[in-house]
Amino acid sequence: MQTIHGIAKLCSLQNSLADYLMPSSKVISIKDLSCTRGDNQLFDAVNFSVGLGQCLHVTGPNGCGKTSLLRLIAGINFAEHGEISWNSKDTANNSDFHRECAYIAHKEGLKNELTSIENLRYYQQLDSGVDEVALDDILDKMGILKCADLLAQQLSFGQRRRLSFARLLIADFTLWILDEPFTGIDTSGRNLIESLCVEHLENDGMIIMTHHQSLVDSPLNQYRSELTLGHA
Amino acid sequence: MSNKGARVSNKGARASNKPINTLSLYFQREWQLMFRNTSSLIQPLVFFVIIALLFPFSLPAEGELLQRIGGGVIWVSAVLATMLSLESMFHSDYQDGTLEQMLIHPRSLSLAMLGKALAHWTATGLILTLFSPVLCVTFNIPNEQIWVLFAGLLLGTPSLSLIGAIGAALTVTLRRGGVLIAIVILPLYIPILIFGAGMLTQSAQGLEVASQLYALAAILALSITLAPFAIAGALRVTIN
Amino acid sequence: MNPISATWNFLSNTYHRLGSPREFYTISRYTTPVFGILFLTLSLIGTYFGLFVAPADYQQGDAFRILFVHVPVAWMSMFVYVVMATAGAIGLIWRIKMAFVVTICSAPIGAAFTALALLTGSIWGKPIWGTYWVWDARLTSELILLFLYFGVIAVYYAFEERKTAEKATALLSVVGVVIVPIIHYSVEWWSSLHQGATVFAEGGPKMPTEMLLPLAFMAVGFMFFYGYALFLSMQNRVLENEHKSRWVREMVISQGKQ
Repeated sequence: MQTIHGIAKLCSLQNSLADYLMPSSKVISIKDLSCTRGDNQLFDAVNFSVGLGQCLHVTGPNGCGKTSLLRLIAGINFAEHGEISWNSKDTANNSDFHRECAYIAHKEGLKNELTSIENLRYYQQLDSGVDEVALDDILDKMGILKCADLLAQQLSFGQRRRLSFARLLIADFTLWILDEPFTGIDTSGRNLIESLCVEHLENDGMIIMTHHQSLVDSPLNQYRSELTLGHA
Repeated sequence: MSNKGARVSNKGARASNKPINTLSLYFQREWQLMFRNTSSLIQPLVFFVIIALLFPFSLPAEGELLQRIGGGVIWVSAVLATMLSLESMFHSDYQDGTLEQMLIHPRSLSLAMLGKALAHWTATGLILTLFSPVLCVTFNIPNEQIWVLFAGLLLGTPSLSLIGAIGAALTVTLRRGGVLIAIVILPLYIPILIFGAGMLTQSAQGLEVASQLYALAAILALSITLAPFAIAGALRVTIN
Repeated sequence: MNPISATWNFLSNTYHRLGSPREFYTISRYTTPVFGILFLTLSLIGTYFGLFVAPADYQQGDAFRILFVHVPVAWMSMFVYVVMATAGAIGLIWRIKMAFVVTICSAPIGAAFTALALLTGSIWGKPIWGTYWVWDARLTSELILLFLYFGVIAVYYAFEERKTAEKATALLSVVGVVIVPIIHYSVEWWSSLHQGATVFAEGGPKMPTEMLLPLAFMAVGFMFFYGYALFLSMQNRVLENEHKSRWVREMVISQGKQ
C-alpha cells in the first residue's frame, strides 16, 4: 500500500525575509505530523514551518486531509503523532498561541439569532472590551455595514462569509488559518479577501490556507509556498 | 448605503475596559440567545406539567394516594423535563461552529461551560422550581411540605443541569444522542432524586429534613466545582 | 541490588512492557492460562468448603450458602468498576493506549458480575422472603451499577471513530466512579427509610472462620477469573486494533501455515 507523504515545494520567494529569521520573530513549525481517520491514514510525516510574512497554501484532492491538517494546527483536533510548535513551544494548552491564532472554516461560527453586529460584538468581547466604532469600521471594510442590524439568518451566503471573515479584523491575530476562503463568494468578495490577506502578510502576519485550485494568478502568489497532500 | 454616522459612539467609555468575566459573558449570552428563541424557555415547563399530570390519570386519583406519591411524581417530572431539554444545550453551538471556536479560544472552557450550565438551569430547573407550588396544590400536598419540596428542588435542579451537561457534551457529535443521554445520565441522577423526594417522606412523618438538604447542597457543591471540567473534557474528547 | 529493589524493578518493567500492544500480547499468552487455572482451583476449593464444610446458618438453613457466590460477585462488580475507571484515568492523563483497552474490555465483564450479583441475590431472596425481588440496599445499588455499566458500553459503541470512543468511555467511567460512592450511600439511606432491617445478613467481624475462609477463596478465585477474562478479551481487542501492523500480520500468516 502506497504511503502518503506530504511534500513541501518552495515556489520562488521574492521575499528574502524567509531566509533570515531573527530570534524574536514568530514561527509555527510542524514536525512529523500524521493523521488517521478511522482506518485510513490521511497523511504521514508532514514537516514545514511558516514564518512572518509567509503564506502556506495547502492543496490536494478531496479527502486528502487538508481540513484535518488545519484543524490539527488550530488545536481543535488532537495530534496523536507529531509536534506542532509556536515559537518553539508546543501549541497544546498554549494560550499565547491561541491568542494569536484565528481559525475561519466552513462552519462560520455565527449565531443565526443574533444580528451581524451582535455576532461581531461577542467575538470582540471575548478578546478585549467592546469598541463600537471599531465594529462599524470593520463591517464597513467588509462591505456589509448595511447588514449590521440584520439577523445572521437573513443574510445571503456571501454576506455570511464576509461576516465570518470580519472576525479576523477584531483583534491583532498573527496567524490566520483559513479553510477554503474563496469558496462560495463572488468576485468582489474574493478580491476583498485577497487584499485583506495581502495586507495582513505585509504587516508581518502569517497565513495557512487551503484552496483546491491554483493560486498562481492571485496577488498572494509572491508570498506563497505550496504544500500538496495526497498522492504526489 | 452607509448609516455609519447614525451609530452612537461610546468608544471613549468602553475601549479601555477590563475584558468581561468569562462566566458572566457566557451566562448573559445564553440568555440573549434564549430570548430570541422563546419556545426553548416554555418547553421545559410544559413538559414538567404534562408529565406530572399523567400520573393522576393513570392511578386511582384519591386524594390520599396522590398526596403520598405527589412529591415523588413532581421530582420525577422535574428530572425528565430537565433531561429532555439537555439535548439542545450544545446542539446549535456545535452546528454553527461556535463551539469549536470556544475550544480554541484562550479563555477557560470550563468557566464558559459553567456559565452555560447555570444559564440552562435558570431557564429550566429554576422555572420548574418556581412553578412547583402550583403542582403541589393539584396533588393535595399540605402547605408545610410545599416549602420542603421547593427547597429540595432549588438545591437539586442545578446539579441536574450540571451533571446533565456532561451527558449532553459527550453526545453532542452524535446524531441520535437523546436516548444515549438518558441511559448515561439517569443513573447519575438517582442520588438527587432519592434525597429530594425522600425529604418529603421524612417530613410527612414529622421528622427533620436538614440532613437531606445538606446532602443535596453537598452534591451541588461537588457539581459546581467538578462538572465544568468534565464538560470541557467531554467536549474536547468528542469534537475531533 | 537488594531483593526489594530488584522486585520493584521487575514489576515496573513488566508494567511498562504491558503498555505496548505487542508486548502485552506476548505476556498475556503465558499469563492467561495461569489465571484460568488459578481461578478454577481456588473457586473449586472455596465451593467445596462453602457447600460442605461451613456450618448451616441457624436462621436460614442451607439457603444462605449462596452467599459464597453472591458476596464475592458483588465485590467484584464494584472492584471492576474501579479498575475500569482507574484505567480510564490513566489513559486520559498519560495517553497510554492499552489503558483504554483495559477500560473497554472490563465493562462487559463488570456488567456480567453485576448481573450475576442481582441473579444470586434474587435467588437468595425467594426462600427467605418469598419474593424474587426486594428493594434491599445492596440489590438496588447493584441495579444502578448495572445501568452505569450499560451506559459505558453504549457510549463506546455510539462513536464511529475508535479513538474518540475510547476517550469518551474513559471520561464517562471516571465521572461514574466519583458518583458511585454517592449512589451507594444515598441508596443505603433510602432503604433504611423504607425497609428497616437489612434483608441479607452480611455477617461482619463476627463471621466465623469457617464462613470467612471459603468466602476469601471464592473472592480471590473470582479475581483471577476477572484477570483471565480480561486478558482474553484484551488479546482480541489488541488484534482488532492493531490489525494493520506488521507483527499482527506476520503472526496470522505464520499461524495460518501451521
